[in-house]
Amino acid sequence: MAENIKTARILKFDIFRYNPAEPDKPPYMQRFEVEEAPYMSLFLALNQIREEQDSSLQFDFVCRSAVCGSCGMMVNGRPALGCQTLTADLPEVIALHPLPTFALIGDLSVDTGRWFRSMVDRVNGWIERETEFDRASIEAPMDNATADKIYEADRCIECGCCVAGCAVANVRPDFLGATGLNRIARFMMDPRDQRSEQSWFEVVSDSEGVFGCIGMMACDDVCPKDLPLLEVYSYVRRKAVASLFSSGEDHPARREAEKA
Amino acid sequence: MNTNTTPTSLRAKSVPRGDRPASFVVDPAAARRQVWYELASGATGLALALFMWGHMFLVGSILTGEKGFNWVAHMLEEYFIAQPTVAAVLVLFIVHAVMAARKVPGQLKERKVMRDLGRDLNAYGKGFPGMARGDERFQPHVESMLWIWQVRTGMIILVLASFHLILLASNVFEATMQGGLAIDATRTLARVQGGLWMLYAVLLVCVEFHASVGLYRLAIKWGFGARLGRHTLHRIEQVLLWLFLGLGVVVLAVLAGWLPAPLEFLLKG
Ligand code: HEM
Ligand code: SF4
Ligand code: SF4
Repeated sequence: MAENIKTARILKFDIFRYNPAEPDKPPYMQRFEVEEAPYMSLFLALNQIREEQDSSLQFDFVCRSAVCGSCGMMVNGRPALGCQTLTADLPEVIALHPLPTFALIGDLSVDTGRWFRSMVDRVNGWIERETEFDRASIEAPMDNATADKIYEADRCIECGCCVAGCAVANVRPDFLGATGLNRIARFMMDPRDQRSEQSWFEVVSDSEGVFGCIGMMACDDVCPKDLPLLEVYSYVRRKAVASLFSSGEDHPARREAEKA
Repeated sequence: MNTNTTPTSLRAKSVPRGDRPASFVVDPAAARRQVWYELASGATGLALALFMWGHMFLVGSILTGEKGFNWVAHMLEEYFIAQPTVAAVLVLFIVHAVMAARKVPGQLKERKVMRDLGRDLNAYGKGFPGMARGDERFQPHVESMLWIWQVRTGMIILVLASFHLILLASNVFEATMQGGLAIDATRTLARVQGGLWMLYAVLLVCVEFHASVGLYRLAIKWGFGARLGRHTLHRIEQVLLWLFLGLGVVVLAVLAGWLPAPLEFLLKG
């Protein structure tokens, strides 16, 4: 392999440095040079930098196979997963920044967890039903097409790339973002969820929900898992309009929760 | 992309944003209003875009010479089609501008964040084919910039088309009060040739861009033609844009007197 590459490139990484624990030290960009190796990913390059050049460099990786969603970062101004991005696909100078819209932990590391937790709390990201769940009984069958759609939506790894790449999310901290709308759509499609359209309505249709979105589809273009965010988006929109014309009762479970 | 520099979207900001509020209250009445606003801005945008295309064919009658133009204009006025149309378009125009403008961030700083992010996403991968992936996505991503230009052209239209609409409405009003006709080729040609062509040239480019991108955006938002996919929809948008822009340039050139009416022979003899 290596023989095929006549002269390995010397990659120049410009990395955003800032540690919130040292607020007196203003953020700056630091350059690191790394010799490119065949099939090198940003994951490999960053680990090499940390091992050989600067042990204080902060960044996140867990699974290094685009499953855990912790290595989202801005690569030359575009959100991407560090483990999935090969340096061979990038120019010689590579600028890395933490994802905007999330709380910064330090350097390239951000706290997506808190954001996603608050999003799930807002949309009640779980199945709500009137009837008690009976563990012993056999689950009602679901048709294949629906199951496939739900599976597609469930493939979201909560990396936050769609939020970081979204112009609206960048100026409105409460905007649900594509992943939030995707989460809502997932439960809207689920026949086991008994929430009425009305009870969805308030979460979805708010200007921080689907109507805050202006359809620039950056989310769709940057999602590293290729989620069908365009379809999700128009689906939720049409649902919101439909619920405007339906006079469904609020879901009892929700009313109970409000009373309590 | 000039990667020697920090991406602009991050240059201005020192530190990414901090925590988000955990609890969030939504007001159902406000949410309900949002749906109506969205429907209103979309429907008025659609109506205006379709009207502008029809308008192009009406003004395009100048391609058959003054005779053809006058015939169309006089018909529309005599049968009282032109007068209510001017009033209706004025209303659509105002409603659309107010409804659509609610999406534009109020603060300069916010618009700058949007623009810088849009520019970075649009620059990513240019001149570096390794980045392009052959799937349904846009890489480089163009659409955030398209939306920003949607706002910019909208603002220009707001100013220039207001002038045009007020001019026309006052002509119609005068004609209705005093009798006679509001639209006449001789007067129109004199106006355009007297310098108004500059205004109409800018208006033409802005309206055609704004209308075709706007229709594309509507398709994306509501899932019309979703089966075609974004690339095909985008291609359709571009074809429509260049088609009407080309037609508009020819019509404007005839109005400005730079080009003889190419279809005049149709009405000869
Ligand atoms: C008065 C001046 C105008 C302003 C300030 C304006 C502004 C805007 C803005 C900001 C949007 C984006 C809205 C969104 O993303 O939700 C928009 C959408 C749109 N505009 Fe305009 N516009 C104007 C005039 C026009 C005209 C004359 C036409 C017809 C040619 C038109 C057709 C459209 C269409 C079809 C859309 C898409 C609607 C949607 O996305 O829901 N606009 N306009
Ligand atoms: S379509 Fe645009 S505005 Fe909507 S969530 Fe995606 S990136 Fe944000
Ligand atoms: S929708 Fe895609 S980009 Fe957004 S968080 Fe999920 S996997 Fe990441």
